[in-house]
Order: sequence, then C-alpha cells, then structure tokens
Amino acid sequence: MTTAEQETAESSESAESPGSSIAFTATLVLLVGAALFGRRLFAGWFTDDGIRTWATMFVGVTVQALPFLVLGVLLSAALTAFVPASFFAKALPKHPALAVPVASASGVVLPGCECASVPVSAALMNRGVTPAAAIAFLLSAPAINPVVLASTAVAFPGQPKVVVARAVTSLAVSMILGWLWLLTGKGGSWLKMPKNRHAHDDGKFDVFRSAMLHDFLHAGGFLVVGAAAAATLNVVVPRAWLDHVAGNLLLSVVILGLLAVLLAICSEADAFVAASLTQFSLTARLAFMVVGPIVDVKLIALQTGTFGPKFAVRFAPATFVVALLASLLIGWWLL
Amino acid sequence: MVVVVKRNVAGLVIVFVGAAMMQLATSGTYLRYVKPGMRWMLLAAGIVLIALAVTDVVVRSRQTHDHGLPRAAWLLLIPVFALLVVDPPALGADAAQRQSPVAAKPAKPVDPQGNAYWGDESHGPKPMTVRDYAVWAVWEKETMQGRSFQLTGFVTPAKNGVWYVTRIGLTCCVADGTAFMVEARGQAAPPKNQWITVTGKWAEPTKRVDGDVAALTVETVKPVAAPVNPYE
Repeated sequence: MTTAEQETAESSESAESPGSSIAFTATLVLLVGAALFGRRLFAGWFTDDGIRTWATMFVGVTVQALPFLVLGVLLSAALTAFVPASFFAKALPKHPALAVPVASASGVVLPGCECASVPVSAALMNRGVTPAAAIAFLLSAPAINPVVLASTAVAFPGQPKVVVARAVTSLAVSMILGWLWLLTGKGGSWLKMPKNRHAHDDGKFDVFRSAMLHDFLHAGGFLVVGAAAAATLNVVVPRAWLDHVAGNLLLSVVILGLLAVLLAICSEADAFVAASLTQFSLTARLAFMVVGPIVDVKLIALQTGTFGPKFAVRFAPATFVVALLASLLIGWWLL
Repeated sequence: MVVVVKRNVAGLVIVFVGAAMMQLATSGTYLRYVKPGMRWMLLAAGIVLIALAVTDVVVRSRQTHDHGLPRAAWLLLIPVFALLVVDPPALGADAAQRQSPVAAKPAKPVDPQGNAYWGDESHGPKPMTVRDYAVWAVWEKETMQGRSFQLTGFVTPAKNGVWYVTRIGLTCCVADGTAFMVEARGQAAPPKNQWITVTGKWAEPTKRVDGDVAALTVETVKPVAAPVNPYE
C-alpha cells in the first residue's frame, strides 16, 4: 500500500475534518446533557430487571477489560515507537518455523488478560515479525503468563497437574496454529496488516502518541461490541442445561469450549469458574481454560477490528477446533 | 484554544472514557462491577487516557493534518452513556434467579472445625459469609448441625413462597458472578433485593434434581443497608 492509498483509506474510515466541529459540539452537548440530566430524564425507562442485569454485565465486562486494553496499547505503541525493527530480527530465529516456538515461549513475559495481547501482537507484525510468530505470541501470552498460572494453582489446590496440563496445552495450541499459518501459505491475503502510521518524518514521541491513540480508539470500539455480546449471552443462556451434558466426555468438552467462547471471562479468572464446574470431568474443564483466553466473543470482536474480518472468520474456528483436540489429547494423557 | 479543541472529537471521547473510569474508581462505584483490587488499575488507566487526550489536543494545535475518529470509536461512548443514564446496579436477585441455588462441591474439603474457629459459642450465633454457609451447610453437615449462624445477604424470592438469603461471589468481574443461596425457612419473604441480616439454626438441606441446597431455620430477620462491597 502506498502512502497516498493509506491516506485515502484513513480518511474513508474516519469522520472527516469539516464535519468534525459539528460532531464535536453534538457529542459534547449529548455527553454533558447525559451527565447532568440523564438519570432524571430516563428514570422510568430502564426499570426492567433483565435490562438492568444486562447493563451491569455490559459495563462490568467493559470496565474489567479497559485497563488491560490500555496496558496493551501502551506496550504496543512503545514497541512501535522505541524498539527498532532490527531488534526483533536479531531476537527471533531467521526461519519462520523456528521463530514460532520462540514467540510462543516468550508469551510468558506479558502478564495480563487477553485484551492486552491483541494490540501487542499487531505491533509485532508491524515491526516485521513474521505473522506466524506474532500469532503464536497472541495465543500463548494470555494463557501461560505467571499471573494466570498462579490463579490456576490457587483455584485447583493440591492438583498441580491441572496447572501443568493448562500450560502445556496452551503452549502446544499456540505453536500448532503458528505452524498451520505457515502451512496454508496464503495467510497474507486474509490479514489486514496493521498500518504503520506516521512512520515518516515525525519524532519518536509522536509515533508513540498517535499509535496509541489510534489503537485505543479502534480496539476500544470493538471491545464494546464484544462486551455487549458477552453480556447478552450471560443473561440469555441458562446455566441449568449444563448439567444434562456433563456425563458425556466428548459432548462436555465441546459444550464447555463453547461456554468459554460465550461467557468471555478474563483469563485471570477463568480457572475459578472452571473449578466451580464440578459436575464436569477435568478434561472438559481443561478445554474451558484453554479455549477461554484464545477464542471468545470479546476477542473475536477485537481481532476483527485489528486484523480484519477475513482473518477473524478463519482464525477463530481454527483456534477453537485445535484447542479442543489438544485439550482432549493432553487431558487423556495428563489428567 | 476553542478553535483547536473544536476539531478534536477523538480527544473528547477519550477524555470522557478516562474520566468515567476515574469517577468509578474514586467514588467506589467500581465495586458494583469488579473486584476491589481493580481500583488502582482503573485509576492508572484513567490517568493515561486523559493524558493521552490532552497531549493530543496540544500537539495537534501545532499540526496541519488532521485525522478524524475511526467509526468504531463512537461505540466507546455506549458504556459511558450506560453509566450516566441507566446507572447499572450491582447484581442482585434477578441475576441470582438465573442460576441454580445448588452449591458446587468444594474442590478440596474446607475444614471449619476446631475450637479456635468456632470460639466461645455462648456469645450467640456465629457470623458467617453466605458463600461459606451455602457450601458448608451441604458438604460439612456434621460440623454445622445444631449450631446457630448469622448471615447477611439480599432476598431472592422463588416459587411457592420459598426465598433465599443470597450473595454473589466474584472472582474477576460480574461476568463470572456466581450466586450463593441459602434457603430461609420459617419466616415470610421480605421484599425482593432487600438487604437483611438473619440469624437461625442449621437445617437439613433441600433436595433438588441437580443437588442439595443449603437451608437455615430463621429466627430473626433484620433489614440492613447494602454493604459497600456487595460481593463475596
């Protein structure tokens, strides 16, 4: 893409300058109006219990995820602005197939929820890291970092094998998907490569500032979509039907995998939820913990925003299937 | 200044999101949605966002080119509006009614025995979290039998006059909220969502298709104010 094309692409997706003073005034008036009179004006509107529960879930998921997203865009902007591309060329093995496991293992260093890893891996691609390695990092970082493993150990006291199984499975899934990406060989056309903005004359600080601004605005909007979907499913899906499928191993693995996708619980907490699903086998609960950090409605929305819809529709199902198979295999072996 | 600011919708959106996060963290409203430990994360993220917007306004006043707002970014205003207009409450009886009152078997048997834990029982009912009672009353029957307890939670009504003293347990945020429910016997149900402190004796758990539900034979019911942190 040339610079001119980039500018066009940018202005077509943005609210252009002439209208923006109107947009600004309208937004300001609306927000200040809502802040001052919102609760009085709409006092009788949102009284239904279901709607209020939904609103609590929606705001809750957003409030929980936003600080991690801010951390993620902060790191990714710093990578874009201050770490030279040559650093990654030196740090990772030249051959993409070897770069994948190194990237997977380095997921250990990013403590946080899955929301932080999406902008960071986009920044890695931006810095010339091969997409396969960036994808491996995207999948491993939220699953095998020390915070998540520690919370898993706390949630399953006296069962260190669960922690081991979780780390091994997540690591394996991230590498398999990295290699799958290489095997298909035509991943480039599915991926909307994150744009390298302001790479020209601006100073480092300017690059940092504008990368962060752009990433936050973009990913934040998609995060909101994901939070709304998670809240809806949380309120609509009755948990009682879970009990009917707990007995069948294969079915229960699929159902708990789907539940992880729908509930979009952050990776630092999902171990506690898994621990409470005592009617299910450990293998099914392992599937829940492996799927959760790498595919869920909130992440699919974030990935659609960051890497484009063509990527998301292929990547999410592939990740889901590989995660279930790996959980079955390692659950059978270790648990 | 006004001319400069006029152009910056992005800055405006970010300032409001950042301000909303700081407002939640400083007012204590955040406890309705997330764990107490998230407070400093929310404050830090709010400060970072506001600083980002302010530097953006200052820097752009010196630049000629202007980028607007990605369309998706408008969506960020929805949660801000939800906070301002709906003012979502903490999860209550409605969320609890969507879940089963059965308490899951603890991963490792928790041991409430020992004289140190129970202390001097002549001082009246033992205060206990609803979460612990809901689990122990079912899985530690022998210890609980014959003792008196004091629980604080909100009222969740069910069919046929049955009602539960309820508390929601969080591990991360409201998305993983799990209801812990204790069936209250022997007293008429107070209004839905009313916070109460009850005292009473352990009772034989109620059998259901999906498991056993903790129960308490209630002696006194006292309405109380909602606690600062509604979750356990």
